Amino acid sequence: MTLAATATAPEQVAARRDARRGLLLTAPALLWCVVFFVLPFATMLVWSFYSGGGPGEGSLGLDNYRRFFTDASYTSALRYSLEVTLIVTVLSVLLAFPLAWAIATQVRPDRQRLWLMLAVLPFWTSYVVRSYAWLLVLSPDGVVNQTLMTLRLITEPLELSFHRATTVTGFVHFFVMLCTLTIYASLSRIDPRLQLAAADMGASGWQTFWRITLPLAAPGIASGAFLTFVVTIGDFVTPQILGGNNELLLPQIAMLQITRRGDIPMAAALSVVMVLCVSAAYLLLARWITGARR
Amino acid sequence: MKMSRFSPSASPSPLRRLTLALAACTAFIGLPAHAQETINALVWCDHTDEAFLKAFTAKTKIKVNVKDYEGTGTALSLIEQGKPGDWDVFVVDSTDVRSVVAKKLLAELDPKAFPMNDIPAAVRLPEYHVVGGKMYAVPQKFGYNAIAYDKTKVTAAQAKDINYVFGASAKNKIGIYDYYLPVIGQVAVALGKKPQDLKESDLPAIRAKLVEMRGNARMVGDVVTTQTALATGQISLLVGGGEYTVAGLMAEKPNLDWVLPDVGGIRWQQAIGVMADSKKKAAATQFVQYVLSPEGQAALATSSCYWGMPANSKAALTPAQKKTLRWDEQTAFIAKSFPYPSPSAALDKAMQDMWLSVVQKK
Amino acid sequence: MRTGWKAALTRTLVLGPLFVFIYLPVAVLVLFSFHDGMVPVPPFEGPSLQWYERLLSSDRFTNAAWASVVVALASSALATLLATLAAWGLARHRVPGRRWIEGLMLLPLAVSYLVVGLGLLVAFSAVGVGKSLWAAGIGHVVLNLPLAFVVVLGQFDTQQARLERAARDLGASESQVFWRITVPQLRSAILAAFLLCVTFSWDEFIVAFLLSAFDPTLPVVILSMLRTGLNPQTNAAGTLVFVLSLLAAVLFELLIKKRGPSEPTGR
Repeated sequence: MTLAATATAPEQVAARRDARRGLLLTAPALLWCVVFFVLPFATMLVWSFYSGGGPGEGSLGLDNYRRFFTDASYTSALRYSLEVTLIVTVLSVLLAFPLAWAIATQVRPDRQRLWLMLAVLPFWTSYVVRSYAWLLVLSPDGVVNQTLMTLRLITEPLELSFHRATTVTGFVHFFVMLCTLTIYASLSRIDPRLQLAAADMGASGWQTFWRITLPLAAPGIASGAFLTFVVTIGDFVTPQILGGNNELLLPQIAMLQITRRGDIPMAAALSVVMVLCVSAAYLLLARWITGARR
Repeated sequence: MKMSRFSPSASPSPLRRLTLALAACTAFIGLPAHAQETINALVWCDHTDEAFLKAFTAKTKIKVNVKDYEGTGTALSLIEQGKPGDWDVFVVDSTDVRSVVAKKLLAELDPKAFPMNDIPAAVRLPEYHVVGGKMYAVPQKFGYNAIAYDKTKVTAAQAKDINYVFGASAKNKIGIYDYYLPVIGQVAVALGKKPQDLKESDLPAIRAKLVEMRGNARMVGDVVTTQTALATGQISLLVGGGEYTVAGLMAEKPNLDWVLPDVGGIRWQQAIGVMADSKKKAAATQFVQYVLSPEGQAALATSSCYWGMPANSKAALTPAQKKTLRWDEQTAFIAKSFPYPSPSAALDKAMQDMWLSVVQKK
Repeated sequence: MRTGWKAALTRTLVLGPLFVFIYLPVAVLVLFSFHDGMVPVPPFEGPSLQWYERLLSSDRFTNAAWASVVVALASSALATLLATLAAWGLARHRVPGRRWIEGLMLLPLAVSYLVVGLGLLVAFSAVGVGKSLWAAGIGHVVLNLPLAFVVVLGQFDTQQARLERAARDLGASESQVFWRITVPQLRSAILAAFLLCVTFSWDEFIVAFLLSAFDPTLPVVILSMLRTGLNPQTNAAGTLVFVLSLLAAVLFELLIKKRGPSEPTGR
């Protein structure tokens, strides 16, 4: 992409003008990003190093972080968040893949988009209300228990609510739909001739799947997994409604700091920890997300 | 071929979209073009019923914006995050009025403007609302954080025995209301201490009992989550629940009831005042008067968020509503209940830290 | 791709249970919005329209719905505009540090919404700007930019580059190339980006919660309703949101039919 070392002066001038024009077009978006995202994030980062009410009131230091790593309530929140997020990510991908695969391969091409839309339709109910709906579905008087009792499979209602599993169910429900979209996007781009060629050369269906389909679907899987990870670890609504406060996750603790304690610096420190977790996840998955590009 | 795409069709150019965006913004600015006066009130959720607020606006042409909070700490955070003059009316627990006055947040009120004589002495409690001879808030509603339970799953005798919630037979059956002040108060009463007299040295003993209770609890939740849990059978008993939890549901779910433990329960009481740096004190005072009027009190007592006893004995309630609220048993209840703790800033912080560590299992 | 009864069987076995799982809460939600009683659990009584009546006569709900629509449209429009310009700048010009710029543009997507909202809360209070719908709108533009950027950038392909080069060779100016060639080609991508942003912004909770005060958006009001009263009114609200979003999705479908299959999430 770089110009040859023997570029002539007019070419260099044209290149500079080209770059300048490009930058000018990119500038508004970049500016917005810097002013309303980077600077606030930096401000928040600075605030996280103040204890007490913030700059001008508290003292500078690693107090908040020290408190975070020494208080069992906080470290367990980090542990729970990571555990729940990983479980949700794995389950969502495991359930979304067959769904995406079935739509991409078992449905007529002209009907595939319709099925895809049907599969993600509930995406568009209010996120908040959908979480609440799960609570009602899983309650002792709710649909699941009532159906199981009518079918005589159980005699007493099962305790399905206010567990970690309840929160996970609420999350997985949402992310199965999201991952289906990303995985379908990758699967539908796979050239079927590659699979035919593998079959011609004697590969079994299983081998074709492992050696051709899965690697080519990797970008869709990885980007779905990454999005799931990022959104889950920062989500406050689902665990708040479904978890029964039994295992407080990082976002819930952060919101507690903001609303009940008025301790914004501590909330800032918690957010920084969250960002570090997400960065770690990105570094792990980056290879597969951008893998097939160029 | 591709050439057909060459048509300079009318596509939504960026310029058109910018105009649309600006139009949308100006439409929004133009919409709530209320020339009327507006006041901002920081309240418990029982003040958010639209019928309640609209009746006031219809009478006085003053619009009321409400923001509800789940505890005094949250309310104070919201005040801190804003600027002076952001809020005009403050509904705050009676037991917190003194500390709020110390922060210079409330304005002085003229007792003659309010129906003080219609408020029974047991509720009027000048020691909470009058500081340095000046009145800063008027009591408006009270009730109990005691035990709400399902009559078909837990007997009245079990509900009245506070030791039931600490014992093995309660395992996985109870819920806890997510507000540290009354629940810590209830545990203090179980240990024979008065909530108002708690010191930091009392906390370890309280923590031990809280951990026992937490071990039996299926969930800890706010007003509606605990209501839902009780109404749908997910818990059989709610510590910190009271008439505020079940009164609104009893018509449909007659199996729900509430009771004060034999050792005594906790009484909550809300007061209402005008913010010191409000720029609309006259309008704010009008709202306070409305809340204390017989109609306002009746609406407040039966609000959709939670029910409770009105402070004004002349509240316009129907006999059926009075029966649900146990109007005639109130004197006995008040005698058998204690007000919330009013901790100092340091003790409050210690209590909140302890609460978080108990709620977060492990 | 198999056809016939084998495909039908696979379809039923795989899609069946998964679709039941996906639709269960929505079905219960919609059904019990017509429930004639306070607590939305079986047995179902009714049907009754009382909750819809209450909801639609509630000023708080209708104002919040309007606020949500305005914020969604305005922030999506602005984000799509900025993203289109940026994508054009990066895809058709040799800009140094392109990878870094792309990374920066995508960063808000990678950091969770809570962090974006908290950052803005801290920054705004540091400079003395109060909470408002405008603040929430600004936050939504930050969240929408990466989405729109990804969708639009993905549509700049080589065929289009050839057309643009051809136009330039024939003497068209930069501006003419942009308005007469690029934008029409991108029309469906721009619209897709816009609608995608609207869908996300419309249901976004945490940033709106942290940054708005007395003009809350719909998700904030719905959570508030959830916290202040146990009744099927929230079911009715959820159902209405669903129906409205559905209409937008149908619109999306009809509008991108011309260009051909393009997935909402681009990459």
